[in-house]
Amino acid sequence: MSTVSWITARGLLGRRRFLLLFPLPVLLVLLAVLSRALGVDPNEWGPPVLVGLGLAVVLPVIALIVGTGVLGAEIDDGTVVHILTKPLPRWQIVLPKLAVAAGVTAVTVAVPLYVAGVLASSVRVGLALAAAASIGALAYCAFFLALSLVTRRPVLLGLVYVLIWEGLLGNVVSGTKVLSIQQYVIALADRFAPTELLATDVSVPVAAVMSTLIAVGFTALAVDRLRSFSVAGETS
Amino acid sequence: MSESTGVIHDIGYQRYSGPRLGRGAVFGALYLHGLRTVFGFGRSAKAKIFPWLVVGIVIVVAAVVAAVRSQLGQVVMTYAQFADTMSWLIIFFVAVAAPELVSRDLRSGVLPLYFSRPLARSDYPLAKLLSLVTALWLLLGGPQLVMFLGAAFTIEEGPRGVWNELLDLLPGLLYAGLWAAVFGVIGLLVAALTGKRAFAAGGIVAVFLMTTPIVGILAILPSQTINELAFLASPMTMVNGVGTWALGDLLFERGGGLPIGGFGPLYAFTAVLLVAGCVVLLLARYRKVATR
Repeated sequence: MSTVSWITARGLLGRRRFLLLFPLPVLLVLLAVLSRALGVDPNEWGPPVLVGLGLAVVLPVIALIVGTGVLGAEIDDGTVVHILTKPLPRWQIVLPKLAVAAGVTAVTVAVPLYVAGVLASSVRVGLALAAAASIGALAYCAFFLALSLVTRRPVLLGLVYVLIWEGLLGNVVSGTKVLSIQQYVIALADRFAPTELLATDVSVPVAAVMSTLIAVGFTALAVDRLRSFSVAGETS
Repeated sequence: MSESTGVIHDIGYQRYSGPRLGRGAVFGALYLHGLRTVFGFGRSAKAKIFPWLVVGIVIVVAAVVAAVRSQLGQVVMTYAQFADTMSWLIIFFVAVAAPELVSRDLRSGVLPLYFSRPLARSDYPLAKLLSLVTALWLLLGGPQLVMFLGAAFTIEEGPRGVWNELLDLLPGLLYAGLWAAVFGVIGLLVAALTGKRAFAAGGIVAVFLMTTPIVGILAILPSQTINELAFLASPMTMVNGVGTWALGDLLFERGGGLPIGGFGPLYAFTAVLLVAGCVVLLLARYRKVATR
Protein backbone atom coordinates (compact mmCIF):
# COMPACT_ATOMS: atom_id res chain seq x y z
CA MET A 1 0.00 0.00 0.00
CA SER A 2 1.60 3.20 -1.13
CA THR A 3 1.88 6.25 1.08
CA VAL A 4 -0.53 8.21 -1.09
CA SER A 5 -3.28 5.63 -0.72
CA TRP A 6 -2.59 5.39 3.01
CA ILE A 7 -2.94 9.16 3.42
CA THR A 8 -6.08 9.15 1.27
CA ALA A 9 -7.71 6.38 3.26
CA ARG A 10 -6.91 8.14 6.51
CA GLY A 11 -8.28 11.44 5.21
CA LEU A 12 -11.43 9.70 4.07
CA LEU A 13 -12.13 7.47 7.05
CA GLY A 14 -10.20 8.93 9.97
CA ARG A 15 -11.65 10.88 12.87
CA ARG A 16 -14.89 8.93 12.86
CA ARG A 17 -15.69 10.23 9.38
CA PHE A 18 -16.34 6.64 8.30
CA LEU A 19 -19.51 6.80 10.39
CA LEU A 20 -20.99 9.13 7.75
CA LEU A 21 -20.87 6.27 5.25
CA PHE A 22 -23.13 4.05 7.33
CA PRO A 23 -26.69 5.53 7.31
CA LEU A 24 -27.53 4.91 3.62
CA PRO A 25 -26.38 1.25 3.42
CA VAL A 26 -27.96 0.46 6.79
CA LEU A 27 -31.25 1.92 5.56
CA LEU A 28 -31.05 -0.26 2.46
CA VAL A 29 -30.57 -3.43 4.50
CA LEU A 30 -33.23 -2.41 7.02
CA LEU A 31 -35.85 -1.88 4.30
CA ALA A 32 -34.99 -5.23 2.69
CA VAL A 33 -35.21 -7.05 6.02
CA LEU A 34 -38.47 -5.30 6.91
CA SER A 35 -40.10 -6.16 3.59
CA ARG A 36 -38.92 -9.75 3.81
CA ALA A 37 -40.10 -10.13 7.40
CA LEU A 38 -43.57 -8.82 6.58
CA GLY A 39 -43.88 -11.23 3.68
CA VAL A 40 -44.29 -8.73 0.85
CA ASP A 41 -43.91 -10.16 -2.64
CA PRO A 42 -40.24 -9.66 -3.71
CA ASN A 43 -41.40 -8.58 -7.17
CA GLU A 44 -43.08 -5.61 -5.52
CA TRP A 45 -40.41 -4.49 -3.07
CA GLY A 46 -37.42 -5.58 -5.15
CA PRO A 47 -37.36 -2.80 -7.76
CA PRO A 48 -37.89 0.15 -5.37
CA VAL A 49 -35.29 -1.08 -2.88
CA LEU A 50 -32.65 -2.59 -5.19
CA VAL A 51 -32.89 -0.11 -8.06
CA GLY A 52 -34.77 2.89 -6.67
CA LEU A 53 -32.73 3.15 -3.48
CA GLY A 54 -29.65 0.98 -4.02
CA LEU A 55 -28.52 1.71 -7.56
CA ALA A 56 -30.18 5.11 -8.10
CA VAL A 57 -29.40 6.77 -4.75
CA VAL A 58 -26.94 4.92 -2.52
CA LEU A 59 -24.36 4.08 -5.20
CA PRO A 60 -24.14 7.50 -6.92
CA VAL A 61 -24.41 9.56 -3.72
CA ILE A 62 -21.71 7.60 -1.89
CA ALA A 63 -19.51 7.57 -4.99
CA LEU A 64 -20.05 11.32 -5.29
CA ILE A 65 -19.07 12.09 -1.70
CA VAL A 66 -16.12 9.68 -1.72
CA GLY A 67 -14.96 10.28 -5.30
CA THR A 68 -14.86 14.07 -5.01
CA GLY A 69 -13.58 13.81 -1.43
CA VAL A 70 -10.32 11.96 -2.13
CA LEU A 71 -8.81 14.78 -4.16
CA GLY A 72 -11.35 17.61 -3.94
CA ALA A 73 -11.04 17.97 -0.17
CA GLU A 74 -7.26 18.38 -0.45
CA ILE A 75 -7.65 20.92 -3.24
CA ASP A 76 -10.11 22.86 -1.07
CA ASP A 77 -7.72 22.87 1.90
CA GLY A 78 -4.75 23.65 -0.30
CA THR A 79 -2.89 20.64 1.15
CA VAL A 80 -2.75 19.06 -2.31
CA VAL A 81 0.42 21.13 -2.80
CA HIS A 82 2.28 18.85 -0.40
CA ILE A 83 1.61 15.84 -2.59
CA LEU A 84 2.15 17.67 -5.87
CA THR A 85 5.62 18.85 -4.83
CA LYS A 86 6.82 15.31 -4.16
CA PRO A 87 8.83 13.72 -6.99
CA LEU A 88 6.01 11.41 -8.01
CA PRO A 89 4.63 10.86 -11.51
CA ARG A 90 1.07 12.17 -11.63
CA TRP A 91 -0.41 8.78 -12.33
CA GLN A 92 1.06 7.52 -9.08
CA ILE A 93 -1.07 10.15 -7.34
CA VAL A 94 -4.29 9.64 -9.28
CA LEU A 95 -4.34 5.85 -9.42
CA PRO A 96 -3.93 5.15 -5.68
CA LYS A 97 -6.54 7.78 -4.88
CA LEU A 98 -8.94 6.28 -7.43
CA ALA A 99 -8.26 2.80 -6.06
CA VAL A 100 -9.06 3.90 -2.52
CA ALA A 101 -12.20 5.76 -3.60
CA ALA A 102 -13.51 2.92 -5.75
CA GLY A 103 -12.62 0.36 -3.07
CA VAL A 104 -14.37 2.22 -0.26
CA THR A 105 -17.44 2.90 -2.42
CA ALA A 106 -17.59 -0.68 -3.67
CA VAL A 107 -17.42 -2.15 -0.16
CA THR A 108 -19.96 0.33 1.23
CA VAL A 109 -22.47 -0.32 -1.56
CA ALA A 110 -21.84 -3.93 -2.58
CA VAL A 111 -22.28 -5.46 0.88
CA PRO A 112 -25.80 -4.10 1.56
CA LEU A 113 -26.80 -4.75 -2.06
CA TYR A 114 -25.63 -8.35 -1.70
CA VAL A 115 -27.70 -8.76 1.45
CA ALA A 116 -30.76 -7.15 -0.14
CA GLY A 117 -30.32 -9.23 -3.32
CA VAL A 118 -30.14 -12.45 -1.33
CA LEU A 119 -33.28 -11.48 0.60
CA ALA A 120 -35.10 -10.53 -2.60
CA SER A 121 -34.20 -13.49 -4.74
CA SER A 122 -31.11 -15.66 -4.49
CA VAL A 123 -27.41 -15.66 -3.68
CA ARG A 124 -26.68 -15.45 -7.40
CA VAL A 125 -28.66 -12.22 -7.77
CA GLY A 126 -26.94 -10.86 -4.68
CA LEU A 127 -23.51 -11.63 -6.08
CA ALA A 128 -24.47 -10.18 -9.48
CA LEU A 129 -25.67 -6.95 -7.87
CA ALA A 130 -22.52 -6.71 -5.77
CA ALA A 131 -20.26 -7.28 -8.79
CA ALA A 132 -22.13 -4.83 -11.01
CA ALA A 133 -22.18 -2.24 -8.22
CA SER A 134 -18.41 -2.59 -7.83
CA ILE A 135 -17.92 -1.94 -11.55
CA GLY A 136 -20.29 1.01 -11.26
CA ALA A 137 -18.36 2.30 -8.25
CA LEU A 138 -15.16 2.35 -10.31
CA ALA A 139 -16.82 4.18 -13.22
CA TYR A 140 -18.58 6.72 -10.96
CA CYS A 141 -15.44 7.37 -8.91
CA ALA A 142 -13.28 7.88 -12.01
CA PHE A 143 -15.87 10.33 -13.32
CA PHE A 144 -16.21 12.29 -10.08
CA LEU A 145 -12.45 12.27 -9.45
CA ALA A 146 -11.89 13.83 -12.89
CA LEU A 147 -14.69 16.32 -12.18
CA SER A 148 -12.91 17.50 -9.03
CA LEU A 149 -9.89 18.39 -11.18
CA VAL A 150 -11.81 19.97 -14.04
CA THR A 151 -14.01 22.30 -11.98
CA ARG A 152 -13.94 24.03 -8.63
CA ARG A 153 -17.47 22.88 -7.76
CA PRO A 154 -17.29 19.13 -8.43
CA VAL A 155 -20.06 18.14 -6.02
CA LEU A 156 -22.64 20.44 -7.59
CA LEU A 157 -21.74 19.34 -11.12
CA GLY A 158 -21.87 15.74 -9.96
CA LEU A 159 -25.30 16.41 -8.48
CA VAL A 160 -26.41 17.89 -11.80
CA TYR A 161 -25.38 14.61 -13.43
CA VAL A 162 -26.97 12.36 -10.80
CA LEU A 163 -30.18 14.34 -10.20
CA ILE A 164 -30.95 16.00 -13.50
CA TRP A 165 -29.30 13.77 -16.09
CA GLU A 166 -29.85 10.31 -14.57
CA GLY A 167 -32.85 11.12 -12.39
CA LEU A 168 -34.97 13.60 -14.27
CA LEU A 169 -34.01 13.26 -17.95
CA GLY A 170 -33.46 9.50 -17.69
CA ASN A 171 -37.17 9.09 -17.02
CA VAL A 172 -38.39 11.55 -19.64
CA VAL A 173 -35.98 11.37 -22.56
CA SER A 174 -35.11 7.69 -22.85
CA GLY A 175 -32.18 8.39 -25.20
CA THR A 176 -30.12 9.78 -22.33
CA LYS A 177 -30.05 6.32 -20.79
CA VAL A 178 -27.27 5.36 -23.20
CA LEU A 179 -25.02 7.78 -21.33
CA SER A 180 -26.03 6.81 -17.80
CA ILE A 181 -23.78 4.75 -15.54
CA GLN A 182 -26.81 3.70 -13.52
CA GLN A 183 -28.29 1.94 -16.57
CA TYR A 184 -24.97 0.20 -17.29
CA VAL A 185 -24.93 -1.18 -13.76
CA ILE A 186 -28.49 -2.48 -14.12
CA ALA A 187 -27.70 -4.03 -17.50
CA LEU A 188 -24.55 -5.73 -16.18
CA ALA A 189 -26.30 -7.06 -13.07
CA ASP A 190 -29.08 -8.41 -15.26
CA ARG A 191 -26.49 -10.13 -17.44
CA PHE A 192 -24.69 -11.76 -14.48
CA ALA A 193 -27.95 -13.13 -13.08
CA PRO A 194 -31.02 -12.75 -15.31
CA THR A 195 -33.94 -11.73 -13.12
CA GLU A 196 -37.25 -9.93 -13.51
CA LEU A 197 -36.33 -7.46 -10.77
CA LEU A 198 -34.02 -5.53 -13.08
CA ALA A 199 -35.10 -4.00 -16.37
CA THR A 200 -33.22 -1.70 -18.70
CA ASP A 201 -33.10 -0.68 -22.36
CA VAL A 202 -29.32 -0.57 -22.60
CA SER A 203 -27.72 -3.62 -24.18
CA VAL A 204 -25.00 -5.51 -22.33
CA PRO A 205 -22.13 -4.89 -24.82
CA VAL A 206 -22.86 -1.18 -24.80
CA ALA A 207 -22.88 -1.18 -21.00
CA ALA A 208 -19.61 -3.09 -20.76
CA VAL A 209 -17.79 -0.99 -23.35
CA MET A 210 -19.09 2.31 -22.03
CA SER A 211 -18.24 1.48 -18.40
CA THR A 212 -14.69 0.62 -19.41
CA LEU A 213 -14.43 3.74 -21.56
CA ILE A 214 -15.69 5.97 -18.75
CA ALA A 215 -13.38 4.43 -16.16
CA VAL A 216 -10.27 4.57 -18.37
CA GLY A 217 -11.07 7.84 -20.13
CA PHE A 218 -11.79 9.88 -17.03
CA THR A 219 -8.76 8.45 -15.22
CA ALA A 220 -6.59 9.52 -18.15
CA LEU A 221 -8.25 12.93 -18.09
CA ALA A 222 -7.56 13.25 -14.36
CA VAL A 223 -3.88 12.37 -14.82
CA ASP A 224 -3.65 14.86 -17.65
CA ARG A 225 -5.35 17.66 -15.73
CA LEU A 226 -3.18 17.08 -12.68
CA ARG A 227 -0.11 17.50 -14.90
CA SER A 228 -0.80 21.23 -15.36
CA PHE A 229 -2.72 21.91 -12.19
CA SER A 230 -2.85 25.45 -10.86
CA VAL A 231 -3.69 26.03 -7.23
CA ALA A 232 -6.24 28.81 -6.86
CA GLY A 233 -8.13 30.24 -3.92
CA GLU A 234 -11.70 29.44 -3.05
CA THR A 235 -14.33 30.83 -5.39
CA SER A 236 -16.24 33.79 -4.06
CA MET B 1 14.49 62.01 34.29
CA SER B 2 13.26 64.66 31.93
CA GLU B 3 9.64 65.51 31.53
CA SER B 4 7.89 63.58 28.83
CA THR B 5 7.55 65.79 25.80
CA GLY B 6 5.15 63.65 23.82
CA VAL B 7 1.87 65.16 22.76
CA ILE B 8 -1.37 63.49 21.90
CA HIS B 9 -2.58 65.29 18.85
CA ASP B 10 -6.27 65.87 18.42
CA ILE B 11 -6.88 64.37 15.01
CA GLY B 12 -10.56 65.06 15.11
CA TYR B 13 -11.84 61.63 16.08
CA GLN B 14 -15.52 61.83 16.92
CA ARG B 15 -17.86 59.32 18.43
CA TYR B 16 -21.02 58.57 16.55
CA SER B 17 -23.87 60.11 18.47
CA GLY B 18 -26.65 59.96 15.90
CA PRO B 19 -29.58 57.60 15.87
CA ARG B 20 -28.75 53.89 15.66
CA LEU B 21 -30.74 51.33 13.71
CA GLY B 22 -32.18 48.63 15.91
CA ARG B 23 -32.43 44.88 15.87
CA GLY B 24 -34.90 44.91 13.03
CA ALA B 25 -32.47 46.65 10.72
CA VAL B 26 -29.72 44.14 11.54
CA PHE B 27 -32.11 41.30 10.83
CA GLY B 28 -33.31 42.95 7.64
CA ALA B 29 -29.78 43.54 6.37
CA LEU B 30 -28.81 39.93 7.04
CA TYR B 31 -32.00 38.71 5.37
CA LEU B 32 -31.45 40.80 2.26
CA HIS B 33 -27.81 39.77 2.07
CA GLY B 34 -28.89 36.14 2.34
CA LEU B 35 -31.43 36.52 -0.42
CA ARG B 36 -28.83 38.12 -2.68
CA THR B 37 -26.33 35.37 -1.84
CA VAL B 38 -28.74 32.62 -2.86
CA PHE B 39 -29.13 34.04 -6.35
CA GLY B 40 -25.49 35.09 -6.60
CA PHE B 41 -26.10 38.84 -6.77
CA GLY B 42 -23.06 40.81 -5.72
CA ARG B 43 -20.84 37.80 -6.29
CA SER B 44 -18.73 36.46 -9.11
CA ALA B 45 -20.22 35.03 -12.30
CA LYS B 46 -19.24 31.52 -11.16
CA ALA B 47 -21.55 31.83 -8.17
CA LYS B 48 -24.48 32.61 -10.45
CA ILE B 49 -24.16 29.53 -12.67
CA PHE B 50 -25.96 26.94 -10.57
CA PRO B 51 -28.83 29.00 -9.09
CA TRP B 52 -29.65 30.55 -12.43
CA LEU B 53 -29.41 27.18 -14.18
CA VAL B 54 -32.27 25.99 -11.98
CA VAL B 55 -34.21 29.24 -12.35
CA GLY B 56 -33.79 29.04 -16.13
CA ILE B 57 -35.08 25.47 -16.29
CA VAL B 58 -38.21 26.16 -14.21
CA ILE B 59 -39.02 29.33 -16.18
CA VAL B 60 -38.61 27.49 -19.50
CA VAL B 61 -40.85 24.67 -18.30
CA ALA B 62 -43.48 27.17 -17.16
CA ALA B 63 -43.28 29.02 -20.48
CA VAL B 64 -43.70 25.78 -22.42
CA VAL B 65 -46.68 24.81 -20.29
CA ALA B 66 -48.25 28.23 -20.81
CA ALA B 67 -47.58 28.08 -24.56
CA VAL B 68 -49.10 24.63 -24.92
CA ARG B 69 -52.16 25.82 -23.05
CA SER B 70 -52.62 28.92 -25.16
CA GLN B 71 -52.02 27.18 -28.49
CA LEU B 72 -53.60 23.77 -27.98
CA GLY B 73 -55.93 24.54 -25.10
CA GLN B 74 -54.59 21.64 -23.04
CA VAL B 75 -53.80 22.08 -19.35
CA VAL B 76 -50.54 20.13 -19.04
CA MET B 77 -50.17 20.71 -15.31
CA THR B 78 -51.99 22.69 -12.69
CA TYR B 79 -50.27 25.25 -10.48
CA ALA B 80 -49.89 22.76 -7.65
CA GLN B 81 -48.63 19.98 -9.88
CA PHE B 82 -45.87 22.32 -10.98
CA ALA B 83 -44.24 22.21 -7.55
CA ASP B 84 -44.59 18.43 -7.39
CA THR B 85 -43.07 17.96 -10.83
CA MET B 86 -40.11 20.18 -10.04
CA SER B 87 -39.24 18.46 -6.75
CA TRP B 88 -35.83 17.17 -7.90
CA LEU B 89 -34.85 20.61 -9.09
CA ILE B 90 -35.94 22.09 -5.76
CA ILE B 91 -33.73 19.59 -3.94
CA PHE B 92 -30.83 20.60 -6.17
CA PHE B 93 -31.53 24.28 -5.56
CA VAL B 94 -31.54 23.73 -1.80
CA ALA B 95 -28.27 21.81 -2.12
CA VAL B 96 -26.79 24.82 -3.95
CA ALA B 97 -28.24 27.57 -1.78
CA ALA B 98 -28.16 26.31 1.82
CA PRO B 99 -24.38 25.65 1.95
CA GLU B 100 -23.74 29.10 0.44
CA LEU B 101 -25.80 30.68 3.21
CA VAL B 102 -24.38 29.00 6.28
CA SER B 103 -21.44 26.68 5.47
CA ARG B 104 -19.22 29.44 4.10
CA ASP B 105 -19.57 31.47 7.29
CA LEU B 106 -18.77 28.40 9.39
CA ARG B 107 -15.71 27.56 7.31
CA SER B 108 -14.17 31.01 7.12
CA GLY B 109 -14.70 31.52 10.84
CA VAL B 110 -16.57 34.83 10.65
CA LEU B 111 -19.30 33.90 13.11
CA PRO B 112 -17.48 35.56 16.07
CA LEU B 113 -17.50 38.76 14.03
CA TYR B 114 -21.25 38.48 13.51
CA PHE B 115 -21.99 37.73 17.13
CA SER B 116 -19.78 40.51 18.48
CA ARG B 117 -22.28 42.91 16.90
CA PRO B 118 -25.66 43.76 18.42
CA LEU B 119 -27.13 40.71 16.76
CA ALA B 120 -29.20 38.32 18.81
CA ARG B 121 -28.02 34.72 18.69
CA SER B 122 -31.27 33.48 17.26
CA ASP B 123 -31.53 36.23 14.65
CA TYR B 124 -28.67 34.91 12.54
CA PRO B 125 -30.12 31.47 11.75
CA LEU B 126 -33.66 32.85 11.50
CA ALA B 127 -32.64 35.51 8.97
CA LYS B 128 -30.78 32.91 6.91
CA LEU B 129 -33.76 30.57 7.10
CA LEU B 130 -36.17 33.28 6.05
CA SER B 131 -34.05 34.24 3.06
CA LEU B 132 -33.78 30.60 1.93
CA VAL B 133 -37.53 30.08 2.29
CA THR B 134 -38.23 33.31 0.40
CA ALA B 135 -35.86 32.27 -2.38
CA LEU B 136 -37.52 28.86 -2.68
CA TRP B 137 -40.94 30.44 -2.72
CA LEU B 138 -39.85 32.82 -5.47
CA LEU B 139 -38.39 29.87 -7.39
CA LEU B 140 -41.75 28.09 -7.30
CA GLY B 141 -44.04 31.11 -7.40
CA GLY B 142 -42.34 32.94 -10.27
CA PRO B 143 -42.99 30.25 -12.87
CA GLN B 144 -46.56 29.91 -11.64
CA LEU B 145 -46.98 33.62 -12.28
CA VAL B 146 -45.65 33.05 -15.82
CA MET B 147 -48.22 30.29 -16.28
CA PHE B 148 -50.92 32.57 -14.88
CA LEU B 149 -50.05 35.42 -17.22
CA GLY B 150 -50.01 33.03 -20.18
CA ALA B 151 -53.46 31.78 -19.21
CA ALA B 152 -54.86 35.22 -18.38
CA PHE B 153 -54.08 36.63 -21.80
CA THR B 154 -55.56 33.67 -23.71
CA ILE B 155 -58.75 33.21 -21.72
CA GLU B 156 -61.77 34.23 -23.76
CA GLU B 157 -64.28 34.66 -20.96
CA GLY B 158 -63.07 38.14 -20.11
CA PRO B 159 -62.43 39.43 -16.58
CA ARG B 160 -64.48 36.68 -15.04
CA GLY B 161 -62.21 33.97 -16.49
CA VAL B 162 -59.13 35.83 -15.31
CA TRP B 163 -60.65 36.05 -11.81
CA ASN B 164 -61.29 32.29 -11.79
CA GLU B 165 -57.73 31.72 -12.96
CA LEU B 166 -56.47 33.93 -10.13
CA LEU B 167 -58.47 31.87 -7.66
CA ASP B 168 -56.61 28.83 -9.03
CA LEU B 169 -53.25 30.55 -8.70
CA LEU B 170 -53.56 31.63 -5.06
CA PRO B 171 -53.81 28.12 -3.55
CA GLY B 172 -50.89 27.18 -5.79
CA LEU B 173 -48.80 29.97 -4.29
CA LEU B 174 -49.85 28.94 -0.79
CA TYR B 175 -48.82 25.38 -1.58
CA ALA B 176 -45.48 26.65 -2.90
CA GLY B 177 -44.99 28.38 0.46
CA LEU B 178 -45.45 25.04 2.22
CA TRP B 179 -42.85 23.43 -0.04
CA ALA B 180 -40.46 26.30 0.60
CA ALA B 181 -40.85 26.14 4.38
CA VAL B 182 -40.37 22.38 4.68
CA PHE B 183 -37.47 22.12 2.22
CA GLY B 184 -35.74 25.27 3.42
CA VAL B 185 -35.71 24.32 7.07
CA ILE B 186 -34.44 20.78 6.49
CA GLY B 187 -31.79 21.91 4.02
CA LEU B 188 -30.50 24.70 6.24
CA LEU B 189 -30.33 22.41 9.26
CA VAL B 190 -28.19 19.88 7.37
CA ALA B 191 -25.98 22.59 5.91
CA ALA B 192 -25.45 24.21 9.33
CA LEU B 193 -23.84 21.00 10.58
CA THR B 194 -20.74 21.22 8.39
CA GLY B 195 -18.44 23.95 7.16
CA LYS B 196 -17.62 22.12 3.95
CA ARG B 197 -19.95 23.13 1.15
CA ALA B 198 -19.28 19.89 -0.71
CA PHE B 199 -20.30 17.71 2.22
CA ALA B 200 -23.30 19.90 2.96
CA ALA B 201 -24.60 19.62 -0.61
CA GLY B 202 -24.11 15.85 -0.64
CA GLY B 203 -25.75 15.51 2.77
CA ILE B 204 -28.83 17.50 1.77
CA VAL B 205 -29.39 15.42 -1.35
CA ALA B 206 -28.82 12.20 0.56
CA VAL B 207 -31.34 13.18 3.24
CA PHE B 208 -34.04 14.02 0.71
CA LEU B 209 -33.46 11.15 -1.71
CA MET B 210 -33.10 8.36 0.84
CA THR B 211 -36.62 8.99 2.10
CA THR B 212 -38.43 8.41 -1.20
CA PRO B 213 -37.92 4.61 -1.40
CA ILE B 214 -39.14 4.28 2.20
CA VAL B 215 -42.48 5.62 1.04
CA GLY B 216 -42.42 3.14 -1.84
CA ILE B 217 -41.94 0.24 0.58
CA LEU B 218 -44.46 1.40 3.19
CA ALA B 219 -47.06 1.96 0.47
CA ILE B 220 -47.06 -1.70 -0.55
CA LEU B 221 -47.07 -3.24 2.92
CA PRO B 222 -50.17 -5.33 3.65
CA SER B 223 -51.95 -2.85 5.92
CA GLN B 224 -54.21 -0.05 4.81
CA THR B 225 -53.38 2.15 7.80
CA ILE B 226 -49.67 1.93 7.07
CA ASN B 227 -50.32 2.57 3.39
CA GLU B 228 -52.22 5.75 4.18
CA LEU B 229 -49.55 6.88 6.64
CA ALA B 230 -46.67 5.93 4.32
CA PHE B 231 -46.40 9.35 2.73
CA LEU B 232 -45.28 10.83 6.05
CA ALA B 233 -41.88 9.19 5.57
CA SER B 234 -40.65 11.59 2.90
CA PRO B 235 -40.81 15.41 2.97
CA MET B 236 -41.96 15.52 -0.65
CA THR B 237 -44.93 13.22 -0.25
CA MET B 238 -45.71 14.68 3.16
CA VAL B 239 -46.09 18.15 1.68
CA ASN B 240 -48.21 16.60 -1.05
CA GLY B 241 -50.39 14.93 1.57
CA VAL B 242 -50.91 18.17 3.47
CA GLY B 243 -51.86 19.86 0.19
CA THR B 244 -54.32 17.09 -0.61
CA TRP B 245 -55.99 17.50 2.76
CA ALA B 246 -55.98 21.26 3.19
CA LEU B 247 -56.46 22.56 -0.32
CA GLY B 248 -57.78 19.36 -1.87
CA ASP B 249 -59.98 20.14 -4.84
CA LEU B 250 -58.41 23.55 -5.25
CA LEU B 251 -55.08 21.98 -6.07
CA PHE B 252 -55.75 18.73 -7.83
CA GLU B 253 -58.27 17.37 -10.25
CA ARG B 254 -60.84 15.34 -8.37
CA GLY B 255 -59.15 12.22 -7.02
CA GLY B 256 -55.74 13.48 -8.12
CA GLY B 257 -54.25 13.80 -4.64
CA LEU B 258 -52.61 11.15 -2.53
CA PRO B 259 -54.69 8.36 -0.95
CA ILE B 260 -54.16 9.48 2.63
CA GLY B 261 -57.57 8.40 3.92
CA GLY B 262 -58.72 10.32 6.98
CA PHE B 263 -55.24 11.18 8.22
CA GLY B 264 -55.16 14.68 6.73
CA PRO B 265 -54.96 16.54 10.06
CA LEU B 266 -52.15 14.22 11.16
CA TYR B 267 -50.22 15.16 8.02
CA ALA B 268 -50.64 18.86 8.71
CA PHE B 269 -49.67 18.35 12.35
CA THR B 270 -46.55 16.38 11.36
CA ALA B 271 -45.53 19.05 8.87
CA VAL B 272 -45.83 21.77 11.52
CA LEU B 273 -43.99 19.59 14.02
CA LEU B 274 -41.20 18.90 11.51
CA VAL B 275 -40.68 22.56 10.70
CA ALA B 276 -40.83 23.59 14.36
CA GLY B 277 -38.49 20.80 15.40
CA CYS B 278 -35.93 21.71 12.73
CA VAL B 279 -36.07 25.39 13.75
CA VAL B 280 -35.46 24.44 17.39
CA LEU B 281 -32.52 22.24 16.40
CA LEU B 282 -31.16 25.05 14.22
CA LEU B 283 -31.37 27.52 17.10
CA ALA B 284 -29.72 24.99 19.40
CA ARG B 285 -26.93 24.53 16.88
CA TYR B 286 -26.24 28.25 16.80
CA ARG B 287 -26.48 28.70 20.55
CA LYS B 288 -23.06 27.16 20.96
CA VAL B 289 -21.55 26.95 17.51
CA ALA B 290 -17.91 26.14 16.98
CA THR B 291 -16.14 28.80 15.00
CA ARG B 292 -14.44 26.26 12.76
